[in-house]
Amino acid sequence: MRLETFAYLPGLSAEQLDRQIRSILARKLVVGIEFTAVPDPYDHYWTMWKLPLFDVDDPAAVLAELDACRRANPGAYVKINGYDPVRQGQVVSFVVSQPERGT
Amino acid sequence: MFEAGVREYRETYWTPGYQPRQTEVLAAFRLIPQPEVAPEEAAAAVAAESSTATWTTVWTDRLTTLERYQARAYGIDPVPGREDQYLAYIAYPLELFEEGSVASMMASITGNVFGFKAIRALRLEDLRIPVALVKTFQGPPAGIQVERDRLNKYGRPLLGATLKPKLGLSARNYGRACLELLRGGLDFTKDDENITSQPFMRWGDRFQFVMEAVRRAEQETGERKGHYLNVTAPDCEQMLERAEFARTLGSPIIMHDYLVGGLSAHTTLSRWCRRNGMLLHVHRALHAVVDRQKDHGIHFRVLAKWLRLAGGDHLHTGTVVGKLEGERETTLGVVDLLREDFVPANRARGIYFDQEWASLPAVLPAASGGIHVWHMPALVDIFGDDCVLQFGGGSAGHPQGSRAGATANRVALEACVQARNEGRDLAAEGPQILKRAARRSPELAAALETWREIRFDFAAVDTPDVVRAGHTA
Repeated sequence: MRLETFAYLPGLSAEQLDRQIRSILARKLVVGIEFTAVPDPYDHYWTMWKLPLFDVDDPAAVLAELDACRRANPGAYVKINGYDPVRQGQVVSFVVSQPERGT
Repeated sequence: MFEAGVREYRETYWTPGYQPRQTEVLAAFRLIPQPEVAPEEAAAAVAAESSTATWTTVWTDRLTTLERYQARAYGIDPVPGREDQYLAYIAYPLELFEEGSVASMMASITGNVFGFKAIRALRLEDLRIPVALVKTFQGPPAGIQVERDRLNKYGRPLLGATLKPKLGLSARNYGRACLELLRGGLDFTKDDENITSQPFMRWGDRFQFVMEAVRRAEQETGERKGHYLNVTAPDCEQMLERAEFARTLGSPIIMHDYLVGGLSAHTTLSRWCRRNGMLLHVHRALHAVVDRQKDHGIHFRVLAKWLRLAGGDHLHTGTVVGKLEGERETTLGVVDLLREDFVPANRARGIYFDQEWASLPAVLPAASGGIHVWHMPALVDIFGDDCVLQFGGGSAGHPQGSRAGATANRVALEACVQARNEGRDLAAEGPQILKRAARRSPELAAALETWREIRFDFAAVDTPDVVRAGHTA
């Protein structure tokens, strides 16, 4: 299974993930975390982990929510989205937990 | 009383200092008058012949109010370094154009004047389409954001490939070629423009085999996939029949050759796509016949603007770095015109007028033609995320085949996006980024080895002349 952006790279290290999150925040995008047990290419709506992280600009806060989501949903697929309110859509999205890849 | 006779065009149509209205269509023409014709007279002749005038006065002129309908030549600038050439600016009243009709604009502005004897050569460089007219067009069926939302692809350029050889594969083998590319990591595969419905592969057979490949690749990868099914057909009825069949098979996208098919057929298809939730990939065969020579024809930026009005979700624009013509600044100007909601005048890019699009959806530029994996850092740097990068030969030409070639391109793309997001300079560090990614990807390592020395370093024919704005307005 290959789940979109960065799916063809080795899993992101903690440091690499931190840099990607920083780039989302530097673009003033709103971070959202979503998860699902069964990914499907035709499924546009994974479950939201809480509300999007409005007004959050601290990467550590994003990582803390990500960890909380993973702990609460072991074995789930988890992705991070960057939402652009001006464009009214996601402009960033990548999967950070994919069980069969061991991430 | 009616006075018969021939008057100089400039008496009526040369109006230096005229301030165009916000609702008027503005044109910038590159003009080469015949040696004995003054540039003001030539500019006036263009304005006249593309609006109300003919070569002689006619009694029926007196039955209307010409001032309301006439175009006005309102400025002329010399082209630096080209003594016989001028940029002429002409304003056309909104009333001259039918709502929602590119054909109407083409027939008026690029009609008879291009064959006018008093003018040696003429090129339409740019066209300002006023908001009042923009709002009468549907525009792209989906637009960039809706396409991304439908296909769930964010934060990176999309990847495609045109199937090769262009001609002569059977439908079943063609589907196989699609499958290998899609399962290797591409988002889209594409019919080449000359694939329609020849004896060796009829369109219905192609559509069925290709869609089997698309579904199979989606099941394997968990990603949405698509193939640009070319519906360019002998007539509009067959075009729509092919589009309907693509929809029945569940294809998310179809393709049309907009200049070959014609703008009216294209607009029909674009509206059909909006109604049916179908994406529309647009090819531009014929364009270089019309747009490549600097002295005569229509610049591609105008053809691109017309396409955005008529509607298309992807349009080929040139690559800057590949095998086909496409000077850097000119191409970037076209890319802005396709993607942005407001594009300011920028003479270094050949853009003579501000263009407001008034929320018309945006078009993804497609970069295609002689690009390969070594170009990836430059392409990501030049085009950013909102583009489709098409590697035809650069995928199927991989020593281990299409699937490995597709994977090599996807790995290279993602490595470049990752590095860019980390703040690294793709223009300077591109080769290093690729080589590092290749350590974990044998497919990329083999691709880097195969295309090491391929370059297309030829001077561009269609380069912008930076014309200073010093005209009479």
